[in-house]
Amino acid sequence: MQDFRQFGKTAWAGSALLALPLVLVAVLAATVLPASGARLATLFLIYVIAVLGNQIYSGNSGIMSFGHTSFMAIGAYASALLTIAPAAQATALPALPAWLAALAGQPLIVALAAALVVVLVVAAIFGLPIARLGGSAASIATLGLLVITHVTLVASTDFTRGSQTFFGIPRGVPMALVLGCAVAAVVIARLYRSSRGGLALRAAREDEIAASAVGVNVVRLRFWAFVLGALLCGASGALLAHFLGAFSPKDFYFNLTFLMLSMLILGGITTVSGAVGGTAVIVLLVDILRRIEAGGDFGIVTLPPVFGLTDIGIGLVILIVMYRLREGLFGVRELDERLGFEDAVTPTTQPAPVVPPGPGNLKVENVGKTFAGLTALEKVNFVVEPGLVTGLIGPNGAGKSTLINAVCGIVPPSSGRVMIGGQAVAELAVYDVPRAGLGRTFQNIRLFKNLTVLENVRVAANSVARPDEDTAAAARAALAIVGLSDLAARIAATLPYGAQRRLEIARALALRPRFLLLDEPAAGMNPAETDALMEVLRRIRAEHQLGLLVVEHDLKLIMRLCDRIVVLNKGQQIAIGTPDEIRADPVVIEAYIGRKRAAPPPQTPPLGPALPAT
Amino acid sequence: MTLRKTLSLTALTLGLAAPALAEDLTIGLATAQTGGLAPYDQPSLAGFEMRVDEINAAGGIAGKFPIKLIAKDTRSDAAQTALVAQELVDAGVQIMITPCDADPSIAAGMITQGAGIPAFSFCATTPTLPLAVGDFMFGNYPADNVQAAMLAGHAIEAGYKTAYILTSPDSAYTLKLPQYFGQAFAAKGGTVLGEGTFAMGQQDFSAEVTKIAAMDPKPDVIMTAAYEPDFPAFVRQLRGAGVTTQVLGSDGIDSPTTFAMGDLVEGVVFSTAGFATEGSALAAFNAKYKEKTGEEPNTVYIANGYDLGTVIEVAVTKADSLDPAAIRDAIASLENVEGVTGAISYAGTMGMPLRSVSLVRIVGGNRELVTQGVPAPEEVPAP
Repeated sequence: MQDFRQFGKTAWAGSALLALPLVLVAVLAATVLPASGARLATLFLIYVIAVLGNQIYSGNSGIMSFGHTSFMAIGAYASALLTIAPAAQATALPALPAWLAALAGQPLIVALAAALVVVLVVAAIFGLPIARLGGSAASIATLGLLVITHVTLVASTDFTRGSQTFFGIPRGVPMALVLGCAVAAVVIARLYRSSRGGLALRAAREDEIAASAVGVNVVRLRFWAFVLGALLCGASGALLAHFLGAFSPKDFYFNLTFLMLSMLILGGITTVSGAVGGTAVIVLLVDILRRIEAGGDFGIVTLPPVFGLTDIGIGLVILIVMYRLREGLFGVRELDERLGFEDAVTPTTQPAPVVPPGPGNLKVENVGKTFAGLTALEKVNFVVEPGLVTGLIGPNGAGKSTLINAVCGIVPPSSGRVMIGGQAVAELAVYDVPRAGLGRTFQNIRLFKNLTVLENVRVAANSVARPDEDTAAAARAALAIVGLSDLAARIAATLPYGAQRRLEIARALALRPRFLLLDEPAAGMNPAETDALMEVLRRIRAEHQLGLLVVEHDLKLIMRLCDRIVVLNKGQQIAIGTPDEIRADPVVIEAYIGRKRAAPPPQTPPLGPALPAT
Repeated sequence: MTLRKTLSLTALTLGLAAPALAEDLTIGLATAQTGGLAPYDQPSLAGFEMRVDEINAAGGIAGKFPIKLIAKDTRSDAAQTALVAQELVDAGVQIMITPCDADPSIAAGMITQGAGIPAFSFCATTPTLPLAVGDFMFGNYPADNVQAAMLAGHAIEAGYKTAYILTSPDSAYTLKLPQYFGQAFAAKGGTVLGEGTFAMGQQDFSAEVTKIAAMDPKPDVIMTAAYEPDFPAFVRQLRGAGVTTQVLGSDGIDSPTTFAMGDLVEGVVFSTAGFATEGSALAAFNAKYKEKTGEEPNTVYIANGYDLGTVIEVAVTKADSLDPAAIRDAIASLENVEGVTGAISYAGTMGMPLRSVSLVRIVGGNRELVTQGVPAPEEVPAP
């Protein structure tokens, strides 16, 4: 059990903020609303639970799921098989196995709990393969899940009456139960979003490669979000079944899926506020339009019935909202975060966490890599020592990227090995490399764009933290090192370019690495920004005794910064030494620096501009 | 309570119709005017409204109970149907009408059953519908088993000894109707040689057709409740394989597509809810409908909806009261109500009416009446 503090005050405040209107709706339904109003309130709460289930998976992982409606169906049938009146069961399900038939007539709450167990099992079975997929492949897989579930329900005539209506269950759901489930769903969804797992999954949604590089096991997190979302949908389905009193598989198919998704997308898929708000807007809108389309006397005007207005109206509203607000009504920030419940971010003055210099070096031993006969890298040997800066240079195509991939465990070398401390990188999963002691930045900045500056760093801090540790403090300390303390609450994508580069470094530092790989850290920077970066890097080395491996095109920077330089050319390590040695090395001059000097002046104009524009 | 009422009459039930007058019979229609069920509910409503207008023009039922309709769209959605039904019950309707499908009809019916209000489904054909809800639920269309009994009677009379049925588990209609046929056919001494299945919408019947073509001896008749697009595909592939066995269908194929298939469907017999013979009540109704709307009635659901108005008129007249329970008892005792589609009886049934089914043969792209009537109750397979 992880410490509850990990969720942060704002998550608890947000849960309360979103649960409050739900409680209010329930109280109104129980006191002043007419029976039809109370039914609408109940339906709204049931929908909220399902939309939140969709939000937990789709919102945090960024993978649109069409399959979670199938868990509503499973919840519906599993619970209905237990609550069905024994008398009706004999008529409706004559072929039911005796052991299951004997269980009929349970109270709804017992059936609900049992249904959730069934949903858990099914979700786990389907979640395992689906969690391995990302993007549209995962979406299509969830679509397959929806179809498979539907077909299975239709075919399981003995248990479900097939495509015929399932009936005989007690109609009506107690408001207290529905409200309890809805409030629980809001709290679960909101806390999950702010939990370490939820934050990490959102980071993976923004950038899966960068998330892996800060220790996030994306597949595992997707799996748990899938299952958690399925449980909420299962509960919603069980309640919906008893709200309806009669249903068939087609009631839990595409139409319901699209209704749930339109609610979620209208509100804003990335937030719990969006899920609750979107559901409320659609339910209210349908009800208002429905009354208008039925015609009648509205005091000022008398309208004839215009059936079809509801669907057109909803379609128009979704179009307009999506056109004006692409992230949905509630955007990418939770209501509580907008209203300033945010955990206070104070510029920290506490010293950065002392990283004990770990044992050993980062060793590149005899590393080679061939791609289908093409040798990209051959016999590279060097050592990155703590407290020293090692530079890696080489012209385009020299094999720098291949070497970086081998060092980070993304692509294992064909021969030789990379060792961090005593561990071979190739034996580690990509997300375990950071924990072994290697942090990195990327050539093209890879930030978690829609997360705040602090959240970006916290994702990394979380993956190396003890369960009870306050990672916000560690994250703030890392931000202080690169001078971004004041911008902690900003959305990362809104930072200026230089600050984004520094944020990436802070994120890598939050991993408490012993070695830091910087992939072209000065690319695209102006001289002032480059100088500021140099200052930061020098400080990191001096204060934290990190071993830096810097890959850079800017030779001036490399020469100024590095203690030792490795030169690659055409996959070969052609030189290694101090900056002075490298400057004087005739092989380097010929192969790298000298090539430019020796290059003949162009005798013909470059081909590029002469080509016809396409 | 006062607060409840005030709220319900103001913002919360925006647009709710004004309360009915004391002697109005208020009928609530929770039916699908949009979505997948609209092709059935819309014409049913049109016919029903036509009959209600006539009754009101004559001063109401029995000259003293004018009918007031509150129609709301359920958008073919079960949850929405339940909501709308509750609203109509809140508004004090004395009779409820539900969509042409069992799911929403049962969902709405459970609400009216609890409130003690009689409810009719416009044209749901599932015979178990009243069983699933209770004694306040009624059908308004020849049930699947009634159609099946008529078809089985015809098959026996035509001298067929053996039959093959083709079902699809994808819907209650396509699954149960042929099975009811098989039961009724066997009860009358016929033999069902086998049952094949198909997936709705797949339109590939090669496996089934091969199986039938290879059967020895061949069945005398093939019965299926497949409809568009499956039925045309099936017949085309069956005849293409050289199988000339007689095919029996159900009311799902009573559409222009079927009649446009030429020789492929020549001789096919199917059941339907009404056939306008020269001088019949249905022919008169069709003429009246055309005069009023300027359009030919293109589906029997219009006349079927019209007949529901008559059923309600007769029941309320018999009850001589607007008390829903009294109306229910009157409906359950109705016998041989003269509708434009034929006689309609509820007495002795579980709630699905015994009413006239017509069997039609396709001859040269036109319809030819084979027989028309109501099967004897003991010949109708139990739901």
